[in-house]
Amino acid sequence: MTHRMTTAAAREDSFTIDPEIIAAVEARAAAIARGASANMHLRALLALGSVPIALAALARDVYGQAPSDVVDALQFALLLEYLESDFYQRATAVTGLVPTTDATVIATIAAHEAAHVTALQALIGARGATARARPAFDFTAKGAFAGFTFAASQYATFTLLAQAFEDLGVRAYTGQVGRVVNDKHALNALLSVHSVEARHASAIRRLRGRKGWITGNSRDDLPAALQPVYDGEDVIVQAGAAIVDLAASFGGTDAATAAFDEPLTMAQVTAIITPFLA
Amino acid sequence: MQQMDIVTRDADRPPVVRTAVTSRRTFLRRASIGSAVVLLPSVFAGCEDTTNTGGLTGPGTGTTVPIDFSRGDVAVLQLLSVLEQIEADFYAKVVTNFSGASLTVAEQAVISDIANHEAIHRAVLARALGASGSIAITPIYGTLDFRSRTIVLAAALSLAALGIAAYTGASQYLVEGATLLLAAKIASVEARHASAINDLMAPLSADFAPASFDEPVSLSQVAFAAQPYVEEKLAFANAPTTFVANPFDKG
Repeated sequence: MTHRMTTAAAREDSFTIDPEIIAAVEARAAAIARGASANMHLRALLALGSVPIALAALARDVYGQAPSDVVDALQFALLLEYLESDFYQRATAVTGLVPTTDATVIATIAAHEAAHVTALQALIGARGATARARPAFDFTAKGAFAGFTFAASQYATFTLLAQAFEDLGVRAYTGQVGRVVNDKHALNALLSVHSVEARHASAIRRLRGRKGWITGNSRDDLPAALQPVYDGEDVIVQAGAAIVDLAASFGGTDAATAAFDEPLTMAQVTAIITPFLA
Repeated sequence: MQQMDIVTRDADRPPVVRTAVTSRRTFLRRASIGSAVVLLPSVFAGCEDTTNTGGLTGPGTGTTVPIDFSRGDVAVLQLLSVLEQIEADFYAKVVTNFSGASLTVAEQAVISDIANHEAIHRAVLARALGASGSIAITPIYGTLDFRSRTIVLAAALSLAALGIAAYTGASQYLVEGATLLLAAKIASVEARHASAINDLMAPLSADFAPASFDEPVSLSQVAFAAQPYVEEKLAFANAPTTFVANPFDKG
């Protein structure tokens, strides 16, 4: 499939709309009207005259090959989503692990991670590449969590791993957005997943009785093996300047660090998840 | 700005457009009663403004604040800074009204953290924009009752949802890598906030993440949704004419 890019120089009056694009938009609009998946608070926004904008954006005005960087970033994101979706799928497939009280939250996240996998596979395929295969995972991390088998008594281990994976996902996506800046569809996709991972992270952290945000480089009560997920979160320089002065009256250094999710590089993330690959 | 209407929905019916809402308080009460009503900042502008607690006049009646997109990243950050100014001011007022409000101590702790984060976001964006780029707006809220737990949380959630969608949608116009990174660092914290507020409103429900993807909104939609909170008139110049909207589209 040929990859399309939309350039800032493109103008609405130069667009030609393919019939299948119009059909796709109409199908999408119908899905929104059914309340299929869109954020309820944004559905109304999307309904307020945005269809011409969507059509313009969907017009096939420019064709080109995706830079390898884009595919690489998408493949990397897909690996993360495989990890998360496998993790939650196993949890929801067994009985007794997830307490009834938390079942809705966990099932919601499980469904989202599966959807992320599907979307990223499609994005990669649309750029002429083959989506990487789903690897086998070892959620004992080569013995760091020895004996963890998603057994009924192991919910505490499950949720601490969930917190680590979600916070890791947020930071990993933050680190990748700059690599896809020239492919606005890929950028949208990564950002749209990025904030959903952050919603998950906050929810899991709160399930565990923690704040929804990361303070300093604290791993909270997580084991030392997971500290690399939080290393470097204690940055107090933003937009090129230390912000301690700006935060002085607003929670100080703790708030200054919590107010921003710092990026992790692909190498840093890979080092963290490698033990989880079987 | 075009005329704004109240849009309501429920699971089974197509959108219904309402035009006869008499006050923001009425709207907020209605919004808090059932899930059928979409609470959206932009709809606040459809409500008559009788006892403004912020500015002297209604939304958009003050001086014109130009946002000129020929300035590139500066203009995008200016628009995002409008949201951060609203959020920071909103949460500061919520904190000020803690005594006598019906928020629990645990909820106040969450809100206090968010208030600090938003104040820091506001300050960091202002510093990043510098003297030549910073714009100052006057947030206004109509008759919003800052002592009502339900109304405060609902408004907080609307602002958080707008913030997430705005950062997600505005990032495609950012040229400088450092600016894009800064926006991403903030966007996910806004999402953490939204999730926590959802958890306060509907604990252990699926509301903390209503969809698999947070959909981006365009620059003009952000301004449209923010204007009801702003006394000044937000005015775009040289705004981009294209918007890549849909994260589901594979490109």
